[in-house]
Amino acid sequence: MAVGELSNYVTLSAVLFFLGVAGVILRRNPLVMLMGVELMLNASNLALVAFSRAWGSMVGHIFAFLVITVAAAEAAIGLAIIVVVFHRSARVDVDDVTILKG
Amino acid sequence: MLHHAVGISAHYPLLLATWLLPLAGALLLWSTGPRIQAKGAVLGTTVLGAAFVTALLSIPDALRAADGYVGAQQPLVTWLPGMSLGLLLDPLSLLWTLVITGVGFLIHVYSIGYLAGDRAIARFFAYLNFFVFAMLTLVLSDNFLGLLVGWGLVGLASYFLIGFWFEKPSAVAASRKAFVINVAGDVGIMLAIFILFAQLGTLSYGGVFAHVAQLSPSTLLAVCLFLFVGCAAKSAQVPLHTWLPDAMEGPTPVSALIHAATMVTAGVYLIARCHPLWDASPDARAFVGVVGAITALVGAILGLGQWDIKRILAYSTMSQIGYMIMGVGVGAYQAGVLHFFAHAFFKAQLFLGAGIIIHALGDEQDIRRMGGLARKMPFALLAMLTGTLAICGIFPFSGFFSKDAILYGVLEHGHPYLYFIGVLTAAITAYYMFRMLFVVFAGQARTPASVGEHAGHAHHAPAWLMQLPVALLIVPTIGIGWLAIGGEQSPWARFFEPIFGASLQPLARLGMSEATSSLVVTSVVLLGIATAFFVYATPQALRNAPERLQREGQRMPGMLTHAFYFDDALDGLFVQPTRALGRFCAATVERDVLDGGVHDITVGARWLGHFFRSFQTGFVRAYALVLALGVAAFAAYYVLVGVTR
Repeated sequence: MAVGELSNYVTLSAVLFFLGVAGVILRRNPLVMLMGVELMLNASNLALVAFSRAWGSMVGHIFAFLVITVAAAEAAIGLAIIVVVFHRSARVDVDDVTILKG
Repeated sequence: MLHHAVGISAHYPLLLATWLLPLAGALLLWSTGPRIQAKGAVLGTTVLGAAFVTALLSIPDALRAADGYVGAQQPLVTWLPGMSLGLLLDPLSLLWTLVITGVGFLIHVYSIGYLAGDRAIARFFAYLNFFVFAMLTLVLSDNFLGLLVGWGLVGLASYFLIGFWFEKPSAVAASRKAFVINVAGDVGIMLAIFILFAQLGTLSYGGVFAHVAQLSPSTLLAVCLFLFVGCAAKSAQVPLHTWLPDAMEGPTPVSALIHAATMVTAGVYLIARCHPLWDASPDARAFVGVVGAITALVGAILGLGQWDIKRILAYSTMSQIGYMIMGVGVGAYQAGVLHFFAHAFFKAQLFLGAGIIIHALGDEQDIRRMGGLARKMPFALLAMLTGTLAICGIFPFSGFFSKDAILYGVLEHGHPYLYFIGVLTAAITAYYMFRMLFVVFAGQARTPASVGEHAGHAHHAPAWLMQLPVALLIVPTIGIGWLAIGGEQSPWARFFEPIFGASLQPLARLGMSEATSSLVVTSVVLLGIATAFFVYATPQALRNAPERLQREGQRMPGMLTHAFYFDDALDGLFVQPTRALGRFCAATVERDVLDGGVHDITVGARWLGHFFRSFQTGFVRAYALVLALGVAAFAAYYVLVGVTR
C-alpha cells in the first residue's frame, strides 16, 4: 500500500472521527450521541487497520477486533443507561440529566 | 583491701522482712482501711513494730565482715546488664534503718493518740507504712537505681502526708509545692545516674566506688553536684528549702517522722554513702560545705521570725540539716551522721512535744496565744526542755557531742570560715529555741481556751499513747552522744570504721583542741540562752508579754517575715516564667498553632473540594468536550513534538 493511499485512509478516518466528536458534543439526543461514539470507534478502527496493512503487521487487526468487542459492550451499557433515563422523564435531553452535578 | 559498700552476698530473710513488712501493712490498710478504721491504726503500728524487731535481729548481719566485705547484701533481680538490684545492710544503712523503724514505731504509737477520731485514720497509717517502706527502699538499696526509686517514693509519701487533710487548701498547696521541688531534686539524681552509667557501665555502689579513679575531675564534680541537687531538694538546703516550712501543714506526727527525723536527712545519707566520690572531689566538698553552712545560718535566722511553733521547729530542722550537710560535705562523715542520729531523736521529741501542746490547745499553733503552760503541762515542758537543750548543744545532751564533732571536723578539714558560721548559728539557735520555750511556757496563759478541755476532738485517746513515745525518746536525746566519747576509740568510731575508715583524713592537727572548741561553742550558746532570757523571761518582760510580743511582731523586719524573699525569688525565677510559658502555650500554641493548624487543614480541604466540584457540571456534553480537547491536545503534542523513542 502506497503512502498516498495510506494518507487517504487516515484522512477519511480523521474526518469520520471528528464527525463523531461533533455528534457527541453538539447533539443532545443520547441515541445520536451514542451513534457519534460508535462513529469515533469505527474511525479509529479504520486507522488501525490501514496502518496495520501499510506496515504488514497483524497487531492493528487484532486491536480492531478488541475495539469492536468493547464497542459492543459500550453500546449495551449505553443503551441500558438511556432506557433508565427514559423511565425518569419522557423528554430525552442529556442536558437535563444533571443529577451528578457537584 | 576494703571493698566499698559491698556486703556479703547471701539470702537474708530478716532483711527482706524488714523491708517488705511496711509495704504489706500499707497494702493491707489501703485495701481494708475504710472497714477497719481505728483498728487499722493498731495494725499499722504492729507491722512497724515487727519491722523494728526484724531490723534489730539483723544487726549481726550488718556488722559481719569478711575479706574486706562488710554487711549483708541480698541480691534481688538483674534488670539489665550492669543494673542488678539488691539490698545492702551495712553499718551506715543499719543506722538509718533502725531510726526509720524505731523512731517510726514510736511515732506510729503517738499517732494512734494524736489522730484518734479522725475519720481517715486508716488511710493515715497506710501512708505512714508506705513512707517507711519507701524510706527503707532508699537506704537499703545497694545501687543508685534503687536509691532513686526510694528517693522518688518518699517524695510521693511526703506529698500524701502533707496533704493528708486535703480539705485544707493550704495543705494541698503545701503538698504540691513539696512534691514539685522534690521532683526537681529527683531529676538531679537522675542526671548523675546517667553520667555514672555512661562512664562506668554500672550503677551498683560497689562498682561505682571501685572505679572512681576512672572519672575525670570535672565529670566527678558534675556527678557530685547533680547528686547534691537531689540532696538539696530532699534535705531542704538553700535555695530549695522553701517547701519544708510549708510542709508543716501536715499532721504533727508526719512533721516529726518525715520532715525532721528521717526523710529530710536522706541527703546526709546520700553524701555519707557516696563518700568515695566526695573524698575524690575537693571542689564538691567545698561547695557542699558552703551550702550547708549557709543553710544552717539562714534556717537559724529565719527561726527568729516565726510565731508558729511548728514553723520554728521546721526552720530549726533546716538549720540542723545544714550542719549535717556541712559536716558530711567537708569530709567529717562520722560527725555529720552522728548529728543525724542525735537529731532524729531530739527533733522527733520536740515535734511530738509540740504536738501534745497543739493537741491540748485545740489545734492552736501560734506561740503568742500560748504562754504559762509550764504548770499546766509539765510533761510537755520536760519534753520540750530536754529537746531544746539537746538541739542547743548543752552538755551532756546528745547535740553537744554531735554539733561539736561537726564544728571541730569542719575546722580540721580546713574551713575556718565555715567554723565561724557554725558557731554563730549555734548562738542564734540557742536564742530562738529558748525564745520559743520562754514564750510558750513562761508567764501567764494568753489563751482563753482552757488546757485539757478543748473542743473539736470528739474521741479521747489515753494520754499515755502520746506521752510514752516522747518519754522513750528522751533517753536517746540525752544519752546518744555518749557513744562518741573517746575519739577514735569511741563505740561510734569503731562502728563506722568499716565504712569511713579508709575515707578522707583531717588535714592536720590543729593548735585548737576539741575541748577548746567545745568551750567556745558552749559559751556562745549560753550567751544566746541568756539573751533570750533577758528578752522574754525576766519578770518585767513577762508582765506585759502580750503587748511586747505584739510589738515584736509589728516591728519584725520584712526580711524575716518574708523569709529572705526566697519564695518570691523562686516564684519570679521559675514559677512565673513557667506559668507565662503555660499561658503562652495555651493562648498561642494551643489556639493558633495546634487548633488553628487543624482548622486551616479543614478549610483547605473544603476549598479544594469546592474547587474540584466546580468541574462536575453534570453536562455530559461538556465532559465530552473536555475529552475531545484532551485527545486534541495529545494529537497536537505528537504532531508538534513528534514521537520519540
